Amino acid sequence: MKQLMLVTSLFLVLCSMMAAQTVLEYWMWDPDLKDRTLSVIEKFEAENPGITVNLTVMEASDYWTKIRLMAMTKKLPDVFNLSSGYIEEWASKGFLLPLDKYVEKSLDQDSFYMNLFEAEKELANAESYYAVPFALVTTVLFFNKDMFDDAGLTYPNSDWRWDDFLEAAKQLTLDKDADGKIDQWGFWLYGRYAHIESWVFRNDGYLIDRSVMRFAPDKNGLNTLEFLTDLVTEYKVAPQPKEMAGVRQQDVFPRQLAAMWVDGSWNIDNNRIIAGDSFNWGIAEVPMGPAGMVDSAYGWPDFVAISNTTKEPEAAWKFAKFAAGEGLTMDMYMPGKIPSFKALAESEEFYSSDAQPDEMALLLDIAAKEMKSSFTMSWSEWRGYGAAEGAGLNSILDSIMNGDMTFEDGLKKMDTSINKILGKIYK
Amino acid sequence: MKRAQFSWYRPWHPWIFLIPTLIGLFVFRLGPMIASFFISFTEWDILTDPEWIGLTNYIDLFEDPDFLQILGNTFEFSLVYVVGVMFFGLLLAVLVNSKLKGITFFRSAYFVPVVTSSVAVGLVWNWLLSPNYGLINAVLEAVFKVTPPSWLGDRNIVLIVVAMVQVWKMAGYYMILFLAGLQEIPNMYYEAAKIDGASKFQSFKKITLPLLTPTTFFVFTIAIINSFKSFEIIYTMTQGGPSNATNTLVYSIYLNGFLFYKTGYASAMAYVLLVIVAIITYINFILKKRWVKYQY
Repeated sequence: MKQLMLVTSLFLVLCSMMAAQTVLEYWMWDPDLKDRTLSVIEKFEAENPGITVNLTVMEASDYWTKIRLMAMTKKLPDVFNLSSGYIEEWASKGFLLPLDKYVEKSLDQDSFYMNLFEAEKELANAESYYAVPFALVTTVLFFNKDMFDDAGLTYPNSDWRWDDFLEAAKQLTLDKDADGKIDQWGFWLYGRYAHIESWVFRNDGYLIDRSVMRFAPDKNGLNTLEFLTDLVTEYKVAPQPKEMAGVRQQDVFPRQLAAMWVDGSWNIDNNRIIAGDSFNWGIAEVPMGPAGMVDSAYGWPDFVAISNTTKEPEAAWKFAKFAAGEGLTMDMYMPGKIPSFKALAESEEFYSSDAQPDEMALLLDIAAKEMKSSFTMSWSEWRGYGAAEGAGLNSILDSIMNGDMTFEDGLKKMDTSINKILGKIYK
Repeated sequence: MKRAQFSWYRPWHPWIFLIPTLIGLFVFRLGPMIASFFISFTEWDILTDPEWIGLTNYIDLFEDPDFLQILGNTFEFSLVYVVGVMFFGLLLAVLVNSKLKGITFFRSAYFVPVVTSSVAVGLVWNWLLSPNYGLINAVLEAVFKVTPPSWLGDRNIVLIVVAMVQVWKMAGYYMILFLAGLQEIPNMYYEAAKIDGASKFQSFKKITLPLLTPTTFFVFTIAIINSFKSFEIIYTMTQGGPSNATNTLVYSIYLNGFLFYKTGYASAMAYVLLVIVAIITYINFILKKRWVKYQY
């Protein structure tokens, strides 16, 4: 009898424990961060005894295909990482939990860069908050300080405009051995998004008319495209993209083949690896165009999102907020990525490093600005992203810069081919 | 007595051994092929349910100028690859088909690129072919005083260059096939020809080539099929660029299926590829009767 009572009471205790335990599934795409993410989860579970979080990590190349299939079969994890490129598609198709009531009532808004939440609304093309940003990337002008010193030029700063940039680029383009071939280019660019849109937004322009969701650059956008392609075809301060074939695009600057380069802030890491201390380099804001806006920049966050089918929205919100902010540590951020959680971004660890560049604090100034981007649904197709870099807008801009197409013919092709893709999505 | 030993045998017993393979074949090969056929008539982003759209994907394909360019690229790549691997495969096989001391080393050396990762091959060739900073152009400029082109940047030549890199990588594989064929040819034919005063070239033309035709036919068929499947080298070297110049059918299937998530469209492309390969292989088999000579 005693034994029966013992077993029954044990059974009841177990049942009550199981009933009280909330289990969340969390998916993320960076296997390098698995151990550190497990530490985040451990910390969260210690602070929230009733909640257990199961982590699934996979390579980014597999992540999107698998998580899409999970969404289709209604088995989405409760919480998962989401990138800016997909947020509109996922929000519009109803896979994400709207977070307005949580953001408004249970988020300490002073602790996050709230402009990134606003950027999220614009990215999602929606009125609601659908995800919590955890890392921002933006674009900057990388410049070789040694080359500037040799040319007797002052370093770029936030007041730099196109004329200043062009003048410096001309002086930095050198045929050092007088053999008729340029040995040092003033600038490096090709059709890549970060190389192009950075300038468009700093000239208060756009490529996508969001009122109709079509590729229809405004006057400032067109001027920017023309200015950039002219850098190669007319001013000849940057090489044709085909001249750099075979060199990884992100290695052109750290290998000192060009004195300036505009690309994502995450390239700080690659510069440190490739260049080391072989030369001095810095970062500055992307030069402003004639119509430029001081208070905006090109940038986009990565997010932690919550599934609309989660059975534990409160617990999922608690964890999403934690995994996007206070739970994280600076060593989980690649150099050049900016935490959305202010305490991290403004910590000593973020910008007082022995490694170059000295101007890391600039990233925080940019992070506080209004963020703009060109993401739409099917962005990777019309823009030419990743494995599709040889296609889309990339390909047309490269053709212009390689001299295979005139600027006017390129514009016509952009209009027909990009709007054909967008027309199928935004009917 | 012998009958008694096998009395347990039943005619269905072989199926026990076949079933594991057959299940794999049906689940992982035929199943996806059949599913892909039906998917090709749908619009499906693998996020929401597929929508049946009939032949729209196929119509869109043939109305898309980019697809016609991709189709052209595919045939051009295939032509360079098939001719290249057959020529160099045979050349290498003839060179290593001797009993010289240390010939095994050369046979192995020529085979090394076949087993080398395409990523490594692509990276190294990218460095070598870089227009301003690569070894090949540096040598051409220094020795021959010419201005070489941008091998990977000029859209008029890049596809041939990438196909030739793939030829370099795979020639060793076809060398092995040709070598097996060459060693099947009895030596007595060469001895008889020698007695009759035939030169080495005459022996090669009148004995080797005709008696090698069964192998040549096999190599030709396999090379055509492989040429249409070449993906990794394009992914590593050019990612379909510049300006779509190296975008082939199989690369485009990958982009549409796994980057743009236009699964229906990608499946339609895959079926166009299947039909092309099937037609070419069928023609090849028909023409076989005219030029393949079997010894036995």
